[in-house]
Amino acid sequence: MKPKDVNDLLAPISPVHEGINSYGLSCSVSRQKAIDAEELRKFATELMTAVSSACIKAGAKDIGHIKAYIDHDSGFLHADTVGDAGEVTVAGRDAEPINHFKLVVNSVIYGMTKTAVTNATEASLKTVCLKFGLEKKSKNRRPHES
Amino acid sequence: MKLVQIAGYLGSGKTTLILALSKSLSEEGQKVAILVNDVGEVPVDGKVMQEYGLEVKDIGGGCICCQVAGNMRKTLGLLAKNYEPDITIIEPTGIAVPNAIKEALKPEAAKFQITFGPIIVLFDTTRADKFLTYDTLIRLVSTQLKDADIIALNKVDAAPEDKIEYSKESVEGINPDAKIMKLSSRTGQGFEVIVKAVRDFTA
Repeated sequence: MKPKDVNDLLAPISPVHEGINSYGLSCSVSRQKAIDAEELRKFATELMTAVSSACIKAGAKDIGHIKAYIDHDSGFLHADTVGDAGEVTVAGRDAEPINHFKLVVNSVIYGMTKTAVTNATEASLKTVCLKFGLEKKSKNRRPHES
Repeated sequence: MKLVQIAGYLGSGKTTLILALSKSLSEEGQKVAILVNDVGEVPVDGKVMQEYGLEVKDIGGGCICCQVAGNMRKTLGLLAKNYEPDITIIEPTGIAVPNAIKEALKPEAAKFQITFGPIIVLFDTTRADKFLTYDTLIRLVSTQLKDADIIALNKVDAAPEDKIEYSKESVEGINPDAKIMKLSSRTGQGFEVIVKAVRDFTA
């Protein structure tokens, strides 16, 4: 059996990371009625605002960074928000109306437990998807805790 | 190959600066690669950079200053061998300790003819109050600032003058040896200073 490369081993987490927890998810999203570029940008903006508001409501001391990446056949979008001001930045390459896209959301928050960040992110995604009539199909996640 | 770190707390503007910096250096004829690490989650920054046509290696599964430092060494070695960039820009997680990354990479320096460029730490002036007063957050942000060769007071277009001055005085107190400059990725203020530092600075 080949010995494990020392470079593949996980070292302990640095103590200066204390208080910061994160949650990431990726999923497929679809809707029978095609979503145009403007609506997709609106979805991304509302999702960032919803996650940020939910985290603040749940006691976050600082919105470290909430990011989303939307990938589809003919374009992509990325959106993010930081701090408490609620300003959302959306950029990318718009495309023709689409029925499916892949979504990645990454929330990194100071002053919340991992479970709370997870719940705030998942609940906000569910609410915003419902509002836009979108169906979330699959997901995987890799939480980080310090 | 020169290694440059663009570090700083979450949301300080690292990815935005790296996108502009990579474009500018490439236009000068430099072969640029980016090594990006998202904080232990499903990576986003690397995907975005790839969409803009950049040569990117994504490291996930933890922070490169501690948990996955070994993976970073391995990835950098492969990058040096297979792509041979002139400059590699490292975007650590927003919670990473820059000097820990530099120390972790020193054994690779001789092997791959690596020189160390500047550690540039971005400081979001719009959130200065929090960073400089919140219990464990100040410990992290101060640690990052202490490791900087250059501290870029970022988002100066969006912060009031008194907050910028407060930020400047505070970071000078934390790291009196660093060069401190004002930066706005939105307006381009200070960008040329960063480009020059990346091009000319050698530790």
